Amino acid sequence: MASTAHLEAQTATGVPNGKLGMWLFLASEVMFFTGLIAAYVVLRLSNPSWPGPEGHLSVPLGTLNTLILIGSSVTIVLALAASQRNALAATRGWLLLTIVLGASFLGIKGVEYSAKFAHEIFPSTNVFWSCYFVLTGFHGLHILGGLSFNLFVLSRTFHQTTWASQRQRLELAGLYWHFVDIVWIFLFPLLYLL
Amino acid sequence: MTSRSLQPNYLLIGIWLAGLMLLGVLLAEVSGGWLHIPHWGTVMLILGLSTTKALLVALYYMHLESDRRLLAMIALAPLVLIILAVGVVFSSHLVRL
Repeated sequence: MASTAHLEAQTATGVPNGKLGMWLFLASEVMFFTGLIAAYVVLRLSNPSWPGPEGHLSVPLGTLNTLILIGSSVTIVLALAASQRNALAATRGWLLLTIVLGASFLGIKGVEYSAKFAHEIFPSTNVFWSCYFVLTGFHGLHILGGLSFNLFVLSRTFHQTTWASQRQRLELAGLYWHFVDIVWIFLFPLLYLL
Repeated sequence: MTSRSLQPNYLLIGIWLAGLMLLGVLLAEVSGGWLHIPHWGTVMLILGLSTTKALLVALYYMHLESDRRLLAMIALAPLVLIILAVGVVFSSHLVRL
């Protein structure tokens, strides 16, 4: 079994290459989302007649979605903790729950999108909705990417022999998942509350 | 993660995250009503709560608190660039005014 300690010993930095690569990737992702969020803030500050959601955003639904995403961060870190205890069944269970919660987030986002479209609200409606659809759209795509990664890692847990050498991937999937959670932690108040 | 025996209480941190989020929602709801806080004050408080939540996730769920310092430096690098970029954007905004 390739343990974490063994992997660490193989690199000059003391950090497994996969983990180092994931952190570098996340650093670039921080810049990507900061660019989008900064554009939103600058547009908003420079527009004296900012249109806003005008009652078309449901704070209860946004709150529920935020709770779901926070819950999924808890479940994926519990999956990692279970994996470190070699509790494969618990790892699988927590990871499956993470995927269900992530899919629920996207499902609720889909309900919100369809409600907007039913009210003839599109990205071209005004500058607020352009920002809303771009920010939540890119975030949703990242959630979809995270779900795919989590599903891939889950599929690895069904093979005891391959899991032993691939358990490191769960930590990488977790890092990515927590990152998309952090992005939403900022998007939710910016779009729904302020 | 370096120490597996000293894992933080992940569930408790999750409860804190949910609580802080609900506090932000409550603050946004009442700030225009019976709680008289200027709008910029509400913005600062809610973004402060978001920053606290992000720090909790990064430090304990992403294990920056216990992992190698190199990773914390990688995580901080974009923040330095962001501060520079925001400084440039807002200084040019002020100049234009």
